[in-house]
Amino acid sequence: MTRKTKISLSEDQLVLSLRNREKIAIEALYDMYSASLYGVISRIVIDEAVAEDVLQETFVKIWHSFNGYSAEKGRLFTWMVNIARNLAIDKIRSKDFRNQNKNQELENNVTFIDEQKNTVYNPELLGIKELVQTLKPEQKSILDLVYFKGYTHVEAAEELNIPLGTIKTRLRLAIQQLRKHFN
Amino acid sequence: MEDIKAYLESGILELYVLGDVSAEEKLQVETLAAQYPVVRQELDEIERSLEQYANQHAITPSENLQNKILNSTLVNLGDDRSFTKPRKHSDEEIYEDDNIVNMPQRQNAFFKYAFAACLALLLVSVYAIYNLYSKLQDTNTQLTAMQLDRQRIANQVNLRDQELEMYQDTAFKVLRLQGTAKTPQSAMIVAWNPSSQKVMVDMRSMKLPTHDKEHQYQLWALVDGKPVDIGVFDLPANDSAAVVKEMKPIAAAQAFAVTLEPRGGSINPTLDQMVVLGKF
Repeated sequence: MTRKTKISLSEDQLVLSLRNREKIAIEALYDMYSASLYGVISRIVIDEAVAEDVLQETFVKIWHSFNGYSAEKGRLFTWMVNIARNLAIDKIRSKDFRNQNKNQELENNVTFIDEQKNTVYNPELLGIKELVQTLKPEQKSILDLVYFKGYTHVEAAEELNIPLGTIKTRLRLAIQQLRKHFN
Repeated sequence: MEDIKAYLESGILELYVLGDVSAEEKLQVETLAAQYPVVRQELDEIERSLEQYANQHAITPSENLQNKILNSTLVNLGDDRSFTKPRKHSDEEIYEDDNIVNMPQRQNAFFKYAFAACLALLLVSVYAIYNLYSKLQDTNTQLTAMQLDRQRIANQVNLRDQELEMYQDTAFKVLRLQGTAKTPQSAMIVAWNPSSQKVMVDMRSMKLPTHDKEHQYQLWALVDGKPVDIGVFDLPANDSAAVVKEMKPIAAAQAFAVTLEPRGGSINPTLDQMVVLGKF
């Protein structure tokens, strides 16, 4: 079952084969996106076993709900990361999980997970140090709260005690920095 | 175009990509994106940059998770293909009830009641068998008791017959033995048939002194002045059913006498222990 070569398809090909419910589609999907999705999930759900469950649920949901994706409305990854983030947040907010007392203070998670996992960054993308320098700390903290933690910008404003307008501005600036950086 | 520029700068597109907009805002963004390529372009760039950002924070899950997840989706894939009925629900909804066939409830209920009825019948049968069995036991006990009774009565009738025969048969000579000087109160009846040589002792009318267990009475016939042993007997107990006792046959006798002898009898009578005597 474990394949040595990773499958990579163009997004159009991938979407087409997912629509046709081909076996290769789910394998390609896993090869191409499991690490990115797991990175997001792991920053919300700290417990490794639970995070793995959420990743599985995410793939099952992507597979079953694929009719709900429309390429005109956006990129595939944007759609999938929203599913993963929502499932992860549902999980840590569920009664079961709260009773297990496995969750941690949300705001510590991003740095915590990076320290704990000694995060494996994608080797093709060596710009991470530059990126850290690119993003100002206040931009990064807001972006991480909203993108990785699933905070709404309103919640982030309350959490960081910053006016809503400032939050929006900083978010936009952070993403513009990313755009410049990646271009 | 100025309005669109302001719209792009408002930050709403970033929030849209982050999934942090209301339903109305979402619709608005999508409408404008379809209408203005510049909005579409802007969205695409935001999406790509965030995708890259996520990519840089990627964590590779453990290898066995890959198999687990692929298997779980492939199992679902197989299920989809084996569905014979059209799906009733969209993918977003619960689909567990597809392919589920309701089992007929009535049949279940029938077997349930049939089982209960069988059980009840079994219990009633066991009770009935137990009842019949104890009645049979009672009847057997009664039958045994009655058979014993019948045997006893038959024995008694037999003995009475013998007694009757002894007194009624004219061939029998009935001799009343009288107590000796030593035991004047004693008395006893002996019947003797010279032709058949039978000697009978009447046990019921016997009046003899009691004796211990080491001793027995012995009946003697005096034949030409000599005593001949014709058997020993015990004084019958009060509740004894014995009526008559047949002794040893004797062809001729002039007199009968009874002595108390050691148990088993003696060869010669102990004359001073003679209790009764009678002559023809």
